[in-house]
Amino acid sequence: MLSDDQINALEAQLAGTLRPVTPPVDVVQRLRERIRFPQPEEIVSRLRDWQRMFFVLGGVMSGMMVLITIARALYYLVGRKHM
Amino acid sequence: MPEIEFNEEEVLIRASEGDRDAFGLLYGRYIDRIFNYVYYRTGNLHDAEDLTARVFQRAMNHIQNYTDRGVPFSAWLYRIAHNLVANWHRDRSRRQEIPINDVPVLPSKGDHPERNLVRSQEQDALLRLIRRLPAERQNLLILKFVENMSNAEIGAIMGRSEGAVKSLYHRTLLALRDQLGDQNINLDSE
Repeated sequence: MLSDDQINALEAQLAGTLRPVTPPVDVVQRLRERIRFPQPEEIVSRLRDWQRMFFVLGGVMSGMMVLITIARALYYLVGRKHM
Repeated sequence: MPEIEFNEEEVLIRASEGDRDAFGLLYGRYIDRIFNYVYYRTGNLHDAEDLTARVFQRAMNHIQNYTDRGVPFSAWLYRIAHNLVANWHRDRSRRQEIPINDVPVLPSKGDHPERNLVRSQEQDALLRLIRRLPAERQNLLILKFVENMSNAEIGAIMGRSEGAVKSLYHRTLLALRDQLGDQNINLDSE
């Protein structure tokens, strides 16, 4: 059996020995190149561009729908007058 | 580098559809953790780098097979890492036994750089003892102390219940205490 003191002492030793390490920057960079991933900033900027494109496309489509609806309404009204 | 906030579920869906950018975000989130795990399991920087790359390459090639059935993505990644490290140990034991006493000391997070250069003899001895433990016990200690995971999270990765992890942890501490005693290493030395 382990006493509480022994557990605490062992855990303190383990915490001091098994500390999280920071991979060297060159290692992370080499890994990224090896797997051919773009940099996070590049990914985020691409996502932002993609979102902007989505909004622009949505805006253009909505505008076109409004124009088509107005044109159809005018055509209908003008057509009725001529009848 | 600051971690970029994103919705992991959405990114996982896009990554499983072959979006490499999405997988790149997952890579950024998990690279440190997987590297830490592999580094402590192999004990050398070169193999840790090589195996970490292989973990992410394998994950990228098989991400369409990952489905969230209560097992987090991190657990899936750790399992890949565990399998690759196990293969690495098997191949290595077939070739020749290389001493692992000279483990390079990498900078620890949140520590003063000078402190990283000082690793006590007790810690070196403890690290050697940990590396002699069965693989699942090493996994448990690394996930608990390096990754700061709870027993429940460790259980999800190791495919065990929380109680089983707790029990295994206690048995691991007992084994370590006995082995430290055999080597006359004082636990209260720090």
